[in-house]
Amino acid sequence: MSSTKTSRIGEEIWKTRVDKVNAELVTLTYGTIVAQLCQDYDSNYQDVNKQLDKMGYNIGMRLIEEFLAKSGVGRCANFRETADMIAKVGFKIFLNVTPTVTNWTSDNTQFSLIFEDNPLADFVELPDDGRAQDELWFSNILCGVLRGSLEMVSY
Amino acid sequence: MAGPKIACIGVIGKADNPLHISLFPPYSDSTIEFSFLLNSCLDIFDIRCKQTSIDQDLGLLHAIDERLAAYGWLTTTGVKLLIIVDLFGQEEASAGKQAGAAINGLRDSDVKPAFRALQSAYIQLLQNPFYSPDDHVPIPGNTASSLSACQPISNKKFVADVKRIGESWAPGTSL
Repeated sequence: MSSTKTSRIGEEIWKTRVDKVNAELVTLTYGTIVAQLCQDYDSNYQDVNKQLDKMGYNIGMRLIEEFLAKSGVGRCANFRETADMIAKVGFKIFLNVTPTVTNWTSDNTQFSLIFEDNPLADFVELPDDGRAQDELWFSNILCGVLRGSLEMVSY
Repeated sequence: MAGPKIACIGVIGKADNPLHISLFPPYSDSTIEFSFLLNSCLDIFDIRCKQTSIDQDLGLLHAIDERLAAYGWLTTTGVKLLIIVDLFGQEEASAGKQAGAAINGLRDSDVKPAFRALQSAYIQLLQNPFYSPDDHVPIPGNTASSLSACQPISNKKFVADVKRIGESWAPGTSL
């Protein structure tokens, strides 16, 4: 499946089949969750990251069903197609952003998703304690979501 | 050229607890003088609130002397924004006494953009999930411990925003 076709699918589903919610509601809710986690774990950011990943994992396991139902796409032929699907359909329909897929390794088993804008992190300034900047992965929930959903389609 | 300049910006919480106070040259060292001025302005806020139902923009609160004038803004949540304007500005102040004639008053609408910019800086601060407004509210009852509990705002972006507003404002500019 060509890459432009993939982004057309994403656009189409976003326009017609997705229920929208207010972006600030999402951002502020997510921000509160992370801030609360930081407080609950006494600013142990490794644990916060782990917890976010776990939450994302649980979301991802469920979200993949909805993704498949809405998009109606079949199995991807190769990993590059998967990457395209994640970026241009997955992120498009659930967050209305399209991260850039880059940094492929030569054996086509690793890539990076680069977010130009991240709706989860609007307004956010990490706490100024000298550690959060390096240690807290604020949007780590996204990694969990990817892990959960890809696991369900047997990656 | 020198026109009116902002000498001091104060952000005061609902319980009249100071959240943030910025001073601008040449007043950077007059902390005590300005906290006194800000305090006296809070009384004017109280009086105006009792009198009528008021708009957010309180306009000129109080002309302190021929140089300084205090303007106020009250948000619906009870946060008070105060700007003290130095009508002569910095350069003329250093030039000496002949400055007096240059300024004939400042309209309320000149200060409005500064208040709007301040308010949006404050909103941005509140939208940051790691800023917790509760840390900045004194606990009713025990006054001694409650005063130490409500620290001023330390968020760097907010402080920088206030500094930028204070330094770049002049009548008729947009911020």
